[in-house]
Amino acid sequence: MGIGERRDLPVVGGEKDGSPGFLTTKLDFVVNWARRNSLWPMPFGTACCAIEMMASYASRYDVARFGMERMSFSPRQADLLICAGRVTYKMAPVLRRVWDQMPQPKWSISMGACASTGGVFDVYSMVQGIDTIIPVDVYVPGCPPRPEGLIYGILMLQEKVKGESIQADVHKALRHEDPERTGRPNLPPEVIEQIAGPFGNSTNQNRASGLVSTRALARPRDRRP
Amino acid sequence: MTDKLEKGLEGLESGPERTAGIEPTRGAPAAESHPSVTALLEKFGDAVLHHELQAGDEHVAFIEPGRNVELLRWLKEDGQQRYNLLIDLTAVDYGGGRPLQVVYQLWSIPNKRALRVKAELPLDSLRIDTVVPIWSTANWLEREVYDLFGIEFSGHPDLRRIMMPDNYAEGHPLRKDFPLRGRFSRAEQTRRALSFDLSDYYTQAELAVIGEWEASQAQEHAPGSVEFPEDVKQSRDPRDAGSSAEEPE
Repeated sequence: MGIGERRDLPVVGGEKDGSPGFLTTKLDFVVNWARRNSLWPMPFGTACCAIEMMASYASRYDVARFGMERMSFSPRQADLLICAGRVTYKMAPVLRRVWDQMPQPKWSISMGACASTGGVFDVYSMVQGIDTIIPVDVYVPGCPPRPEGLIYGILMLQEKVKGESIQADVHKALRHEDPERTGRPNLPPEVIEQIAGPFGNSTNQNRASGLVSTRALARPRDRRP
Repeated sequence: MTDKLEKGLEGLESGPERTAGIEPTRGAPAAESHPSVTALLEKFGDAVLHHELQAGDEHVAFIEPGRNVELLRWLKEDGQQRYNLLIDLTAVDYGGGRPLQVVYQLWSIPNKRALRVKAELPLDSLRIDTVVPIWSTANWLEREVYDLFGIEFSGHPDLRRIMMPDNYAEGHPLRKDFPLRGRFSRAEQTRRALSFDLSDYYTQAELAVIGEWEASQAQEHAPGSVEFPEDVKQSRDPRDAGSSAEEPE
């Protein structure tokens, strides 16, 4: 890192072009530091993935090391929804309501094949991926994923939080609160049809997460720009 | 609507297709005898249609569906039989237009004896009498069979869906003619699931009960509605009594 030419950053914000200024970027850093290191998860465990999730919280893996000091069994005090396990259509309104009850800012992890794509349960009663119901930030593959997998997903999410900005549109797009949309699917019908086809969702997982390719991720720190 | 969906909805109307040359669902008559089946044959005669062994040593008695309550009540209450435990009540659809079977899996705790009783229902009259008055555990089991197979149990105290939502309109999922992914499109299924309404999950009678309960709660907790005993009244802070009325401006 050499000594570059000093640039005159605007203190608060760009003049009129919306570019971030010194205070905004530093504030972003502090806010994101606080947010990503104190993610309180709301566990939405419905199947065997929940067992691995419990193992992640227990002493051997201990996600409290990453700032998830406790599981928040009330959505009102949660920042992160971990949907672990298969979700039936009968459970879908419950998941949606839990998500709607969480205060902003909020993130969600879809843990395991069934939550992400419906998995092997391509049947009449199963939701084919919870991204038809709620926006998802990180998909953790596996059946079920090992605790390391979940922790890796959490680290990815922390990286994502780190890159967010208060000014950015990501909050508006992903975390837009619209009470009138309660009870409506998260995606338009034709997209639901597309991802609910055989092997549909497994090839479309990058859509909501904003990641171009999961292969490019070796370790979370490699993803920094 | 897509063609696939239309075809599925057509299936909802017409029911399963019949195919020729299907194997019968009944096997060869049993070689061994079962004391209860022998007694049933003596007592009821032609109401017992068939007796066979399944899986080696499982005795199955096929009975006439119209007389199921009579036979099963006798099996429970007769001093020699005493089948006092209904382990399971379910149904089987072998497909191909074959009759649906309602299965009663019985166990006699005093005699340590098992018996499976089946009643075959032709597809055009899926109706049988309820056995809830005999074994009350049959209540939810019959609701499950009704939900997943569409067999109606006449006389059931509360016959409605138990697993699928009350507004489920795609038919009965465990029937062989039911498509694996359901009859509606995924988008429609998601939309229906998310348009959550209490009336989809509870009957009007239950909702009325909830409404009554809420009204009673509201009345109970209304200010001034609680009548305290004298000693409690005296020990209470006078400012608490009728506080809403004497609120300073």
